[in-house]
Formats: sequence, structure tokens, C-alpha cells
Amino acid sequence: MFMAFSIKKWRVGMLLLPILVFLCSFFIIPLVGLLLHSITDPKFGMQNFAQLLATTTYAKVLYNTFLVSILVTSISLLLGFPLAWCITLVPKGWGRILLNIILLSMWTSLLARTYSWLVLLQSSGVINKILMALGIIDQPIEMVHNMTGVIIGMSYIMIPFIVLPLQACMSAIDPMVLQAASICGASAKTIFFRVFLPLCKPGLFSGGLMVFVMSLGYYITPALLGGVNDMMLPEFIIEQVQNFLNWGMASASAVVLVIITMAMFYVYLKVQTDSPVSSNTGA
Amino acid sequence: MLLSHNSLGWKLKYSLYVTSGAIAAFLVLPIIFIVFLSFGSSQWLIFPPPAWTLKWYIQFFNNPEWIDAAITSLEVACLTSIIATLIAMPASFALVRGRFKGRDYLYSFFTLPMMIPVVIIAVALYSVFLTLGLTGTMFAFVVSHIIVALPFAIISIINSLRLFDKSIEDAAVICGASRLQAIFKVTFPLIKPGIVSGALFAFLASWDEVVISVMMASPDLQTLPVKMWSTLRQDLTPVIAVASTALIILSLFIMIIASFVRKQSNRH
Repeated sequence: MFMAFSIKKWRVGMLLLPILVFLCSFFIIPLVGLLLHSITDPKFGMQNFAQLLATTTYAKVLYNTFLVSILVTSISLLLGFPLAWCITLVPKGWGRILLNIILLSMWTSLLARTYSWLVLLQSSGVINKILMALGIIDQPIEMVHNMTGVIIGMSYIMIPFIVLPLQACMSAIDPMVLQAASICGASAKTIFFRVFLPLCKPGLFSGGLMVFVMSLGYYITPALLGGVNDMMLPEFIIEQVQNFLNWGMASASAVVLVIITMAMFYVYLKVQTDSPVSSNTGA
Repeated sequence: MLLSHNSLGWKLKYSLYVTSGAIAAFLVLPIIFIVFLSFGSSQWLIFPPPAWTLKWYIQFFNNPEWIDAAITSLEVACLTSIIATLIAMPASFALVRGRFKGRDYLYSFFTLPMMIPVVIIAVALYSVFLTLGLTGTMFAFVVSHIIVALPFAIISIINSLRLFDKSIEDAAVICGASRLQAIFKVTFPLIKPGIVSGALFAFLASWDEVVISVMMASPDLQTLPVKMWSTLRQDLTPVIAVASTALIILSLFIMIIASFVRKQSNRH
């Protein structure tokens, strides 16, 4: 309606110029350069991918990456669901406290939190002591430098990323719909599985997908809490670069990681229908 | 009934509350634990510690490596936050106000650095900066952190611009202000909370960045997370707990400012 006042084309261009120049020179060009290494380093061809497929280490790395990501996603969904539900349900003040706890955890330094788990889970650590005092175990169990540590540490970090979208989704559900089911004679169990859960699906899906993709690319926590045998894809890439200076292999595995990630995000964007920029502007 | 506090069966309600309380405790206790640990006297991080001490703090503040790293971190985070916000502001304006095709694609492009695994960005930039001989420079740190911080600034500013009622700006123009005057005198003051929180999140993103920084660092120039990382790979000394506490306090401080800014904006 205010066509005369909307920004002219060339001005839009000027406004976008800084970010486009910046992202192209320091993000897109390096990224494309890195991905091109996979078919040009040391010589042109597919040899790096052939080598990837041939090495058993790599198959193991891929297996670990997917196994850890699937487990972490499932655990954070299981733990995030009751928390999101509780936040939606309790009186506003309590809900705000819980949300603040989640934000605090999310914005607290990743290294600090990982360090905390490293100390908590070590064999002389608090967790082992508590378990022994409770008589659940007789001697300390190994919980760091193996997959258990990675899964505990990563689930801990990912829970907020489930709770936030899920809680937003739950608070948008009209309680009347559930009431209607109840009036029509459905039991609590039926309402939960046939009405409530299906209505939560968008939140579960977007949170779960987000966490899965983030887990695939996680480096810090697996590197600190994991052992030598459960290396994941990001560690593999860094190792190829730092220890072996093998840019071809590093780049080929980077291609694999980028393709998986982008495919997942494509699905994510397809599912998420509303436009982030245009809905409110009346365009 | 499953979403109403009063009509939920008490058995279900209390089991839900207890579970959620436990999960919330699971989220918050490790953070508190670190702060306590930094005051514990045990070198081997025994908890509860045999005695309380400040010696790790003294060690931290007497070691120039830790202090230099902390100062570098602050410098990098400030520069990153300022530059990322300055780049993000015009871009957000163009995306929200401009009428052109492909705005959604551009938005996805600008937030792409958030989706690409940070390891990939780190290795890609490392390869370029290594060839240019720029690793271990302030330039490398700031540029690489801006890439990670940009999406946070963009998202925050775009959200506040979308919520801003453009007719207020139009009213100023009708009353005789030029478009630029109206933007600077009317629009900016009103969307300032969005810009400030965008800048704060950009700061935090840089302050907490590890993977890229590890690749960019040199023995002479490193950020606090890099120093923590390299120390962590050797041993678990409580000095790291001190550094962690520093990181936690700064994050907490910024979160409080951010929520304060948001509250101010709600009053408008």
C-alpha cells in the first residue's frame, strides 16, 4: 500500500552489499575451496572418496557419528518432553523460572559445561561416589573417555534445543481440544496418544531434527568426553587436517558431512512452512 | 485436560512435576558444581572438597597466559559484536522492507553459517588463512567469529523490525521528516532493544567460540576458550574451573542485560 515509501531497488542493493561481500569472501569462497579439495587434492579425480569407502576406520567413524546422534536425539526428546510439558502447565512464574534455567544452560560456556561433566563422571567423581553409596555399583565404572560419556554430555547440551521449540508448540495448542476429547469420553491415555502427542508433532519434529543435525557436526564434547575408539566425523576431519595434513581426505569427509546436513535442513525448511521475513510486511 | 493445571489427575501431575524438577536440576547443577569446584582445595577435584581456598584464583590471575587470553577474548568478542551488528543492520532493513524476489532465500543464506557444522567453517577458514599467513592474527579471529555471530544479530534485528509498526515511521514522514530522519529519529530508537540484544548474542557467540578459535590460534595469540581447551587436553587442574567460572559469570551477566533490554522494549 505504501509503495511510494518502500525502499528502491538500488538502495536495497546498497544495504545488502556489506553482508554479501563479507559472506562471499570469508564464507562461501573458503567453503567451496575446501569442498573442491576433495576432488583436486592431490590430483584431480575421485580417489579421496574411493579411499574413504575403502578404509574401515571411516566406516566405523560414520557408524559412531550416526549412532551417537540417534541416541542423543532420542534421549533429549525423552527428557525434553516432560520439561516442556511442565513449563506449559505450571503457573506463569514457575514456568518463567524453568525457562530461565534452560536459557542459562544454553548460554553457559560449552567448554565449562563439558569440563563439569568430565569431573563429575571421572572414576573418583561425584556420580560414581553417589552410585557406590547407594549400593548400585561396587566399584567405580568408566563413564568418561567412552561412548557413555559422549552421550551423557551431549544429551545434556541438547535438551534446551528440544524444550524451546516443543514448548512453543505446546503453548499454541488450544486446551479446549483436549477438553473436547475428554467430554467425548476418551481416557487420559487415549487423549495423550491420540490427541496431545499428534498436536506436539511439529515441535518434536523440528526440535529433534535440529538436535540430530547439530549432533552430527559436534566436535568439542565428543573430543573431550569420548575415547579413541569412538571418534566421530568432525574429529576425523580435524585429525586429518592437523595430524596428517591430508586435505584431500579431510575435504572428502567434509563433503559427506555438508551433504547430510544440508539434506536434513532441506527437510526441515520444507516442513516449516511460514516465511521468516515476509509474513508481517504485507508484501 | 492434559494442558490444564487444575484438571490434571494428581498422580500424573506430581509425577510430571518431579520428573521435570529432576531434569531441571540435571541442567543447572553441573553449572553450580563448577563454581564450587573453583573454590575447592583439592588438586584432584575431590568433591565435596576437604577445604575451601582461593589459591586457584591466585594462580589464574598471576599467570599472564590466562590473563592475556581473557583480554584477547574480550577484544575479539567486542570487535565481533560491533562489526557483526553493523553489517547485520542494513541487511535486515533490506530484507524486511525491500520488495524483491528471493528474500526468503537470502534470509536462509544469511543464517547458513548457523546450519553448516562449525567444524567445516573452521577447517575451510583455516585452509585459507594458512595460505595467506594470517593464522594467529586478530584479523583471523574477528573475521571468523563474525561469520558465526552474524546469524544471531540478523535474527534478532529482523524480529524487532518485523514487530515494528512502520506506520509510525510513515507518520513522521507525513509530518515533514525526510525518510532518513524518520529512520534515525523514530525507527532506530524503537528497535534499539532488538539491535542491542542482537549485539549481545553476537558477543556471546564469539566469547564462547572454541572450534574455530582453536584452528585460528597461535602460541602468541589465543582466546580464553583456546587456553582452556589446550590445558584440558593435558590435565583437569582446578584453574580451569576458575576460567569456567569467569565464562559463566560473563554469560550470566550478559543474559541479565539482555532480559533487561527486552523488558524495557515491552514497555513501549
